[in-house]
Amino acid sequence: MRVLVINNDGGGFADYVDVAEGTTVAQLFEQQVGSTEPNRYLIRVNRQPCPAHQVLREGDRVSITPTKIEGA
Amino acid sequence: MLFLRDYGDTEVGGFGIAPSDDLLFVEDIQLVKQVCSWVHVAFDDESIADFFDREVDANRRPEQFARIWIHTHPGDCPRPSITDEETFQRAFGRADWALMFILAREGQSYTRLRFNVGPGAEIELPVCVDYSRSFLASRPDAWEAEYLTNVHAVQPVPSESAEWEPVRPSPLEEDPTNSWFESWFDYAADDENAEELLP
Repeated sequence: MRVLVINNDGGGFADYVDVAEGTTVAQLFEQQVGSTEPNRYLIRVNRQPCPAHQVLREGDRVSITPTKIEGA
Repeated sequence: MLFLRDYGDTEVGGFGIAPSDDLLFVEDIQLVKQVCSWVHVAFDDESIADFFDREVDANRRPEQFARIWIHTHPGDCPRPSITDEETFQRAFGRADWALMFILAREGQSYTRLRFNVGPGAEIELPVCVDYSRSFLASRPDAWEAEYLTNVHAVQPVPSESAEWEPVRPSPLEEDPTNSWFESWFDYAADDENAEELLP
């Protein structure tokens, strides 16, 4: 199945990717980011915050965006 | 950016929007919801995600809208603070490249481009306003609405105000530039009527 992934890491990405049925948000994050620090990101599915174990569905929109952007 | 900087007494920040064929040419600045004091600005995480969604819906790629981090500083020092450096590393350090632009209230600016791939590299860049390109008319009403929608001013916390001292000397050992103000004069140097166009 295909899901839309938005991710600014690396070269940046905003496109559909094929994932296996039953893939969870945590698994997709590991595939796309590979970071051991998911707490550095806000991960949303269809513009809503989601639990790590949420199973993705066809056509879902997953955004992985930076958090705690602050200047002084 | 000058309008946004001068509209209120606080710092303000946003993302630079660039065309796909010239990623260092900022053609627009987009604010996200943020809490600001005169020495601090913090973006709202949900608003950042909303911003990413809107920009993707507008058919922009992340490198066009998520790599140029812009914010202002009080006074005349645009050099990055400890907080700035931490954010630049933590929030932008996994992208292939990113740029930090700081505009001080008295006009000086600081720009640093960082490449995070390969051996990595950082370089300070000069900044100018490119008057040779076409641009839309000023939209102060829209800018004001965007500012009022997104910027929530609060009183500074004493512990925060101690953080803003610059910590990173310029590798070029040059003073921060205000050349982007002066670029208009360079561009108009051959135009006899240039002075008449100035406010």
